[in-house]
Amino acid sequence: EDAERISSADVAVVQHRRRLLEEFYAWRAVVEEELAEERAALGLPADPVAELLKAKTAEIAPQGEVQEQVIE
Amino acid sequence: MRPILLAGHERALTQIKYNREGDLIFSVSKDQQICVWFAHNGERLGTYRGHQGAIWTIDVDPTTTILASGSADNTIRLWDVKTGKCLKTWDFPTAVKRVEFNEDGTKLLGVTEKRMGHLGTIVVLDVKVDVEAEQADEKAMTIVCEESKATVAGWSYLSKYIIAGHEDGSVSQYDGKTGDLIYNIPIHELNQPITDLQWAPDRTYFITSSKDKTAKLITAKDLEVLKTYTADTPLNSATITPKKDFVILGGGQAAMDVTTTAARQGKFEARFYHKIFEDEIGRVRGHFGPLNTVAADPTGKGYASGGEDGYVRVHHFDKGYFDFMYEVERERQNRLAAAASA
Repeated sequence: EDAERISSADVAVVQHRRRLLEEFYAWRAVVEEELAEERAALGLPADPVAELLKAKTAEIAPQGEVQEQVIE
Repeated sequence: MRPILLAGHERALTQIKYNREGDLIFSVSKDQQICVWFAHNGERLGTYRGHQGAIWTIDVDPTTTILASGSADNTIRLWDVKTGKCLKTWDFPTAVKRVEFNEDGTKLLGVTEKRMGHLGTIVVLDVKVDVEAEQADEKAMTIVCEESKATVAGWSYLSKYIIAGHEDGSVSQYDGKTGDLIYNIPIHELNQPITDLQWAPDRTYFITSSKDKTAKLITAKDLEVLKTYTADTPLNSATITPKKDFVILGGGQAAMDVTTTAARQGKFEARFYHKIFEDEIGRVRGHFGPLNTVAADPTGKGYASGGEDGYVRVHHFDKGYFDFMYEVERERQNRLAAAASA
């Protein structure tokens, strides 16, 4: 009887966690979609920093000339 | 998970920031120095000198080109990350407690201290992410905190909102363009100051820590409290870990405030909580004083903590950390994997 009581408590905890996990990821999916829509509506790139980094790389190594230096 | 000890500061740490790639760590302290370190081995890359007072805050733009710092010498300074040259100094009537770049590095906010004759403010500066460019002298915007001074602030996704945490425990949402106050909500216990505010990677939600011994996960859009993490000590800092659904809290009772010897003496530990389930899952010891600042590596590989003891401790997570999973998380992962392969 004790074992049964413990296991039913465990089941309740696990079900609670399962629900929390689903809720959080469901919320994330909604937020991510909204954000992507807002970015697109404003004509902004999906990842703001990827574009900035691309520009910086182009500035450092123009015309795709990459200088490699091997340091031992 | 043996930590790397960075012993370069002579006084209490105030803030630590990783750059976006997670290879550099910037740290500031009351010793008036800014240090930059290699995250992988803890080697010091350099220092940035010029401030004439304790440095409270630091931030680096997303391309790791320029660095901003705020100090008790009443200035915000902008630095060339690579050369260490000071590019610009903005003067204020009071100390600067917090600086933060927005998501593309074109705007910088600063939180100024309240003092006799001066209300606390949040100022916005337009910044050019270019070490050659002339930076504007004038502030683009000033938000005056009439009710309770801001202690921390940051930029939301799309720089749409400025979110501030206040001395009275409330959180405000301001319009990022006009500075108009949209909401002010009592979130932490009344008159328990908010000590830190750090973002999730996409800046749609954030975590606050407070002297009320709790940290809270809050949405940027409507300041809804999603989660509460309860500790047994006043908190100075909180950060969200990428890759794993954890949060890390740092705090501890300052020696002068300790009246009785607690069972867990000092409690100078970084505390890990599950972000979604709110359970405490582990602690990391090491500091000899309260943790003033914790920062998660944006690539998810580790974290760093800075203490009142003057040390920075850099931790690289081991396999056990990445493998750790609740049964329901494993279940979800398996289900997603099955759906992907189907």
